[in-house]
Amino acid sequence: MLVLNEEKELEINQIHKLDIRGKICPMTFVYTKLELEKMKKDQLLEVVLDFPAALKNVPKSCKSQNLGELIEIKEVKDKKKEWILKIRKL
Amino acid sequence: MDFTKEQIERYSRQIVLKEIGGVGQEKLLKSTITIIGCGGLGSPAAYYLTAAGIGKIRIVDFDVVELSNLHRQILHFNNDLNKNKTQSAYEKLHKLNPDVKIDIINEILLPSNIIEILKESNFVIDGSDNIPTKMLINDACVHLNIPFTIAGVVRFNGQIITVNPQEKTACYRCVFGDISENEPSMSCSQAGVIGLIPGIIGSIQANEAIKSILKIGDLITNRMLFLDLLKYRFSFIKVSRNENCLACGDEAINLIESHEYNIGDACFE
Repeated sequence: MLVLNEEKELEINQIHKLDIRGKICPMTFVYTKLELEKMKKDQLLEVVLDFPAALKNVPKSCKSQNLGELIEIKEVKDKKKEWILKIRKL
Repeated sequence: MDFTKEQIERYSRQIVLKEIGGVGQEKLLKSTITIIGCGGLGSPAAYYLTAAGIGKIRIVDFDVVELSNLHRQILHFNNDLNKNKTQSAYEKLHKLNPDVKIDIINEILLPSNIIEILKESNFVIDGSDNIPTKMLINDACVHLNIPFTIAGVVRFNGQIITVNPQEKTACYRCVFGDISENEPSMSCSQAGVIGLIPGIIGSIQANEAIKSILKIGDLITNRMLFLDLLKYRFSFIKVSRNENCLACGDEAINLIESHEYNIGDACFE
């Protein structure tokens, strides 16, 4: 039982990463959705992107399709106009 | 399944849909659909299903392209006259989406070959122009337990029914079993047809195929959809399974082996 729990925790702690710099909407959501579909509930996804409209569009679409929930938006250090979206798989 | 970059781009507007996504797109790419006839109904159905990324589309027809076909059979162009319709269809569909395997069968559909032709299909679309062939498709699909849709068009009117034998919904023979299969149907050349009515009905048939494979929404089962484009009347009429139906009833028989279909006799041009 203990082993199983540890495995589960490891699985949840694994952070998926997706680099979609250069992509614009709706492809930003398409790539995010395809990644979320592969993930398990409560796993985290970090999406690096540079298309400003996606900061609103991607979380909104993820929420409306019950795929994922926005945890936070971070600016990439030393980079103007690059962000990381942190999304939790629903 | 890992999609290629090209597939992600090509199917992106479907993947965006809540009802499809990558999971649904993978199902489509792994499915096989057979279309009987690449004429007025088969043309739009084949175009949209090819574009949607069905894994394999099998097209069955024995006819050649005639000038009088071109106002409605949009797979075929002026320079295809006298060409086999299946060949003409293949050329367009392969150009539209080389991701899809287009399998052409240049044969008349008969009780002797129908089982072999349909057996691998996940869904079957009837785009034939005569009632004996529609009955044959109905009976074979019911026998093989494959969901299918049958349609007909004439003048400004169209009708369509989908049958899911896995859920024992009413079949085409339940509804039309009493009409004589051997009488000439009025859907032939003398009655005339506006070119776009098979365009609309054939597109709905493609929609039925996609929805059936993805198990989404409601199909046109246990009801028929009638379209009248002169008066713009769109109506559903309820139909129900006939428990005495020879194809799907409680004491159904193997009609493919025993029934006389008169293919080719019923439609007098």
